[in-house]
Formats: sequence, C-alpha cells, structure tokens
Amino acid sequence: MEAIHPFRRILVISKNTFREAVRDRILYNLVVFVLLITASAVVLGELTFGQEARTIVNIGLNAMLLFGAFISIFVGVSLVSKEIEKRTVYAIFSKPVKRSEFVIGKYLGLCLTLLVNVAVMAVGVSLALLYVGGGSMAGSIWGAIFLIFLELTIITAVAILFSSFSSPSLSALLTFLVFIIGHMSASLRDLAAAMGSRFASIIFDGVYYLLPNLSHYSFRTEAANGLTPSGSMIGGAVLYAVAYVAIVLTVSILIFSRRNFK
Amino acid sequence: MKTLTHHFILPAVVIVLGFSAIYVLSNYLEKNRVVLPENYDDTDLAFEGRRLKGFALGAEGLLADWYWIKSLQYLGDKFVKSEMESINIEDLRNFNPRLLYPYLDNATDLDPRFMVPYSYGAVVLPAIDPEKAIALAEKGIANNPEQWRLHQHLGYIYWRLKNYEKAAEVYEKGSRITGSGDFMKMMAAAMKIQAGSRETARAMYQQMFDEATDPQTRGNAQFRLMELNSLDERDAIRSALEQSKENSGRCPQSLQEILPLLRSVKLAGGHNFKIDNANNLVDPSGAPYLLDQQICDVKLDPERTKLPQS
Repeated sequence: MEAIHPFRRILVISKNTFREAVRDRILYNLVVFVLLITASAVVLGELTFGQEARTIVNIGLNAMLLFGAFISIFVGVSLVSKEIEKRTVYAIFSKPVKRSEFVIGKYLGLCLTLLVNVAVMAVGVSLALLYVGGGSMAGSIWGAIFLIFLELTIITAVAILFSSFSSPSLSALLTFLVFIIGHMSASLRDLAAAMGSRFASIIFDGVYYLLPNLSHYSFRTEAANGLTPSGSMIGGAVLYAVAYVAIVLTVSILIFSRRNFK
Repeated sequence: MKTLTHHFILPAVVIVLGFSAIYVLSNYLEKNRVVLPENYDDTDLAFEGRRLKGFALGAEGLLADWYWIKSLQYLGDKFVKSEMESINIEDLRNFNPRLLYPYLDNATDLDPRFMVPYSYGAVVLPAIDPEKAIALAEKGIANNPEQWRLHQHLGYIYWRLKNYEKAAEVYEKGSRITGSGDFMKMMAAAMKIQAGSRETARAMYQQMFDEATDPQTRGNAQFRLMELNSLDERDAIRSALEQSKENSGRCPQSLQEILPLLRSVKLAGGHNFKIDNANNLVDPSGAPYLLDQQICDVKLDPERTKLPQS
C-alpha cells in the first residue's frame, strides 16, 4: 500500500477542521457583522457630519479583528481538547498520522476558516464604503485587512499552544491576555524606558520579545485616513508572523507529543 | 390537547406576559431615572487622548471617531438646551462649551491625521476661546506639515481676530506647500493690502464653502456669504433710494418702487436680488427687507431674518 505524503495528511486534517467549523456555525458571526456594517452605513452620516467612510473603516476593521480574535481564541483552544474529550483523537492516532501533522493540520484549518471569515467581512466593509461614497477607501483598506488576518494567525497559534497543556477555559483566558499585552508591549516598553527603572526595562523588554508584538499589525487607524501599508511593512509583518507561528507551533507540538493517548 | 398546551400555548403566554412586563418596567425605569446634575455634561473628561495612545489595542482611530461624535453632540446639546431662536456664532461663550476643546484635542491626539476636528475647531473655537483655536490649528500643522489647508484654518483664525500681519505670515507659509494653489498666495497678498475688506471675506468664505467636507463648516461659510451678500444688497438699495429721492424729491413709499432701478445693478459675487411671491425684496435668508421711511433707509426685519443685525 502506497504511503500518503505528510502534506496530504495535513491537508486532509485542515479540510476537516474547516468543515467542522462551518458545521459548528462559526461563520454565523458574519450575519451580526453584516448587520453592524449596514446599520453603520445608514446611521453614521447623521452622527459624524460627513465622516461616515472613515468611521465605517474604523468600526469595520476593529469589529473584524474582535470577531476574528474571538474565533481564534475560543475555537483555537477547543481544537485539540474537543478531539480528546470526544476520544476521536485515539482513532486519528491509530492511523499513520504524526502528532505534528495533527497540530499543523488543525492550525491551518482554523486559519482557512479565519481567512474566509475575514474575506467576507472585508467585502462587506468595501460594499458599505461604496454605498456611502468612500470608493477610494474600498480598495485601500485591503492592506490593513491582510495585516488583521496575519494577527489572527498568530493568536490562533498561541491559543493552540496554551490548549496543548491547559484546560480550555484557562487557555482562552491566557490567550486573551496575550492578545491584550501583545498590543501594548511596545508602549509598555517605551513607558518603562521613560520611567528610567532598570528593573522595569528588563521585564518589559522580556515581554516585548517573548510575547507577539501585535502593534506591528495595527494599521486600522491609518487605513481610516486612506493610508496603505508599505511593501516593507507587509513583508516584515509576514516574516514576523511566520517566525512567531513556527516557534509557537513547534513548542505546541513538543508538548503535545509528550501527552499520552494510549 | 395537553401536548398543544405544553408546547405552544404556555410558552406563548410566558413570552407575551414577559414582553408586557418589560414594556411596563421600561417606562417605569425611564420615569424613575436618576436625574443627573445640570453640570454633569461638563464634567472633566476621564481620559486624556495622549495617555490612551498605545494602550487602545490599535483602535485609536475608533476612539478618535467617538470623541469627534461627542464633540458634535456636546455643542449641539448646548444649543438645543438653550432654546434660543438665533445663535450668535461670533460669540458662543454664553453656552459655556468648556469641553469642546478637550474633545477635539483628544480626537486629534488619538488620530493626529484626522483633519475634520481641526477644521471644525478653526470655525467654532474662535467664538469660544481663540487661544485654544490657535493651539489646535498649530497642533494640526505640527502633526501634518504637508497639509496646506491647516495653514488656511490658522490664517482664518488670525483673520477673524483681526491679526492681519500674523494671518499674512501663515498664508504665506501655507502657500509654499506643494498643492496649495493660488488661493493661499492670493490670501497672503490680500491680508497685507485689504485684509478687512468684503472682497477678502467673500473669497475666504467661498473657498471654505467649496472645500468643506462637514456640514457645520459648510453651513457656517454659507451663512457668512449670505451676510456679505445682504451687506452688498443693502448698499445697492441705499444708492437706489438716494437716486429715487433725488428724482422725485421724496422717499419712496415702498421698496417695490425702486425695483426698476435695482434691475440694472450688478452685485459682487454674481448674485442677484431675490423677490418673493408677494413682490417683496427679500434678504438672502428669505425675510423681506424693511424700509424706514423716516430716515429713508433699508433695514433687516429683526423678527424674521436669520442674518445678524449689522
């Protein structure tokens, strides 16, 4: 019997993870998002005195990140634990599937779900912008949206890491904290430097390099002003995400490989 | 039958009764809402935008929008609560809008590229606190040195304060920025030669009206243009009254008598006299002009006009 290529096994697991997410009605959040954007497009003209395009971008992109972060955290932490709880993990590992392939497949499946989610939301925001006459922004926001997607891929990896050794609720809490601190780590580091405290500087330098620096992916305010991220910014952000996800998934696989499923 | 009661009627009764209770309770709670002190709206802001920056999870732009909307609602509420029929846009200090500047300051601290608060501040803040108006416009220039329109805003503030020398200097600086066009050069020259003239004011407000993106600034510019048009119209009416008096030896009985004389008058800015359905000569806000026969002069109808009595 011919052995299946590891990439193919990963692909099968990712496809199944995506199908499962769709079956679990994860994409229903899109309905709420569409309602939010439609309401914004209709109401904001009165409230903002002609700044509706800018406000739609701000509301749309921030909601996109928030909805995506919730999916990354809550679905991410249950990816592995659900398989263990339902005991389906035993059936999977009775087949020639490596644990690393399982973790990577699960991760890529959720990333695909997030990609679909973000893409549909982005189309919604672009249509709302066209409706309010902000046509130029309808195209310029896509760079910022790509950065949001990259940020979500990092959060998903962190959620999988925590879920590999902790309970789902604690993992969700820890991932949420990483999401918050990840956005503030650069500012906290600057604050510590301004305070002049050596101890604070060491601590916050550690936090800055250890936790993901998610401020690299914040281009929402700039996008609302019609700016687009430069090629070097996007390139750097992609490389940072790849490096960080590689580290986090490697650690997750290491921890997961030591767990006993026999 | 029992199944039907259990599965449909009982839940329906619970839902209907529940919503009835919610309706009654909502009205009760609304009536018994704690009345906030009158000065609650003017309580100092809890956060400073510059301190929030970097700690808002990248949502600084959204917070800036929130402060922008608050600033509009804040001043709007002040106008509504005052129940005044006409508002003197030259001086808004009676409304005590002390938080308008902090709101605009926070919005522009959180998003320094957000242009509308700067232009709104340039139009409204001079009537409240000119120093704050200058501070906001200067902050805008420091944050966005490539935006010549911020120089236009600052020049406008100095012009309103009748500091023509400073206004000329600001327009001059703005005119050196790429893309500023002829208007800034023209204003820089006008400030040196005829800063207080009606032509300069008209050019200033016409530019503001053409370029404003927010209705407040646009409305303000339109109002000012109407005021200038009315001043031109009254000058022309006075000349016609003089001419008519010279011809007939008496003051006309009504303004309708001088309409033939006014038909040939060319007003500045290319606008024409307006006449209503009753054949009355009306000001740009639509209120008929009044003839004071005792002194043979034209005046605005204080009861009906929306224009300032100048």
